[in-house]
Amino acid sequence: MTHRVSPWVVPGAILAAGLAIYPAMAQQTAPLVVGLGGLAFVLFVAGQTLPVPGALAWALGLLAIEYLATLKLRGAAVDVAAPAYAAALFLCAELGWLGLEARGGGRLWPGRAVGVALLALVGAALGAVLLLLSAAPMAGGVVLTGLGVAAAVAIAACLAWLAGR
Amino acid sequence: MPGLGADAPGGLSPQPAERWATTTSGRLAAYLGLGGAGLLAGLLLSRPEPVILAAPLLLAAAVGLALARPPRLEVEVRLDRERALEGEHVELDVEVRALGPVARLELEARLPAGLVQLPAAPESASSLSAGEAYSYRRRLLCCRWGGRLVGHVRIRARDPLGFFTYREEERHLLPLRVYPLPEALRRLVRPAETQAFTGNEVSRLKGEGIEFADIRQFVPGDRVRRINWRASARRGQLHVNEMRPERNADVVVFLDTFTDLRRSVGPRKSSGFMALERESSLEAAVRAAAALVGLYLRRRDRVGLVGFGGTLRWLRPAMGERQLYQLVDALIDTEVVLSYAWKGLEVIPRRTLPPKSLVMALSPLIDERTVSALFDLRSRGYDLAVVEVTPLAFVQPGRREAEKLAYELWGMEREALRGRFLEMGVAVTTWRPGEPLDAALATAGTLRRGLRVVRS
Repeated sequence: MTHRVSPWVVPGAILAAGLAIYPAMAQQTAPLVVGLGGLAFVLFVAGQTLPVPGALAWALGLLAIEYLATLKLRGAAVDVAAPAYAAALFLCAELGWLGLEARGGGRLWPGRAVGVALLALVGAALGAVLLLLSAAPMAGGVVLTGLGVAAAVAIAACLAWLAGR
Repeated sequence: MPGLGADAPGGLSPQPAERWATTTSGRLAAYLGLGGAGLLAGLLLSRPEPVILAAPLLLAAAVGLALARPPRLEVEVRLDRERALEGEHVELDVEVRALGPVARLELEARLPAGLVQLPAAPESASSLSAGEAYSYRRRLLCCRWGGRLVGHVRIRARDPLGFFTYREEERHLLPLRVYPLPEALRRLVRPAETQAFTGNEVSRLKGEGIEFADIRQFVPGDRVRRINWRASARRGQLHVNEMRPERNADVVVFLDTFTDLRRSVGPRKSSGFMALERESSLEAAVRAAAALVGLYLRRRDRVGLVGFGGTLRWLRPAMGERQLYQLVDALIDTEVVLSYAWKGLEVIPRRTLPPKSLVMALSPLIDERTVSALFDLRSRGYDLAVVEVTPLAFVQPGRREAEKLAYELWGMEREALRGRFLEMGVAVTTWRPGEPLDAALATAGTLRRGLRVVRS
């Protein structure tokens, strides 16, 4: 496999750095959070520049964990910036995969760029709706928990279907 | 060359490409995995943020799965002609018609050896809506003669979000015959014997013709128009002119395909494209043979071919344009087939080598079977001329003393071999590929004039 750095590395790395720094900027930042953010950034760059493409998924996962760990450690209420963070994380993931595909000669085509941008916007809007729903005065219960479990099972079913293709 | 440049489209009826090999991007599994983990984390942490983070990823995966459909395409391959000369260009046109929308389509033509795609590479990718057609055109440079099958196309299609890649290899193979660029020739080796049919060769016999041969005394039955009045007046007796008739000859080109010697001669620019040039004794011999058969046929001689090698090929001597086609087609199918089996003249059909025919052998005189067959031909009385495609041009003497000595000994052995041919009345002329064949044939002609005394 030819190993060359794609033009998507720099914007992806900048976005990944922003996503790593944003949670660390909060008050009472624990060294663990900073460490997670730093590790995520290193993994992202390694995945783009070294022949370890699997590092990209781990970097995205660590960024998400860092963000959630910050929220948990702060004990804050709902973060209103979560939909924007989610959209940025999605864009970061797309830039990362574009970088990996560019190594093999793959290119971004206009239709895909438009699709990704729309998905980021719709994803942020969906996140905002979820945020509003979570702020609504609804009592939790077995039904909602069951719905969540069902969603998780549906994801697992999708994975199984993919494996069978 | 026959019919070169004729417009000969070779399209096949379009067929839908259906056997797609599908690969899934790791991105889809990662999105589903991270999304699933986000949902579980939301449940465990009782917070909405993990679910919000998972939302765009799961949305993308869901949309990607929903939109992913194997593309439906019709592929048609065309070549602008079926025949070309070495060094010429042909146009390959692959037309793809989409029966459904295709988000991203990439095409790549896989070319057989001897054809090179010129590096003018416009965008080979496109997105197509249903019913839309995309034309992929490439100029191909014919680097080497031979029969080729063109039309192997790799198709790569993507779904709108790039989660799936569909690959297919279409083979709408079209024949392309690349003819050797013939050596420039002006003179030929003249046959010792002629045949009964009219041609351009002046017969050694006397008879009806227009070429003056001699003067003799008038005898009853001679035509009055043949009387040479000036000679008759000078000698006081009637004398008539004797003429030589114009006849044709049978020529058999004997191509040695047991051996092919090759060497690299470095990069050469051809049609603006740098290619590594390789010289081959067989390729040179085929070019020479193509030139010889073309010129002999233009002289109205009957020309045949014997490809003497691992696989025996032959064509009986005949005249005309059709024979030229057949001979050139037979030549471009020439290849070396490895064989250890002993072969002699007995394997050649008898009518391929008519009596009194001139056999023009093109050989590096390396393989013993060829050398033995040529000696055998001469022993059977055939008029034989050998153009030795010299192997010395393909071998370097080496640097060490022993290597140089071996090279010299080998050269002497070859000299002795040529001497044996000369003793049998066979003119052997050495030809280095790249040098004019005319000079070698002129040498053969000179040698043959001297050898005619020996033969008779």
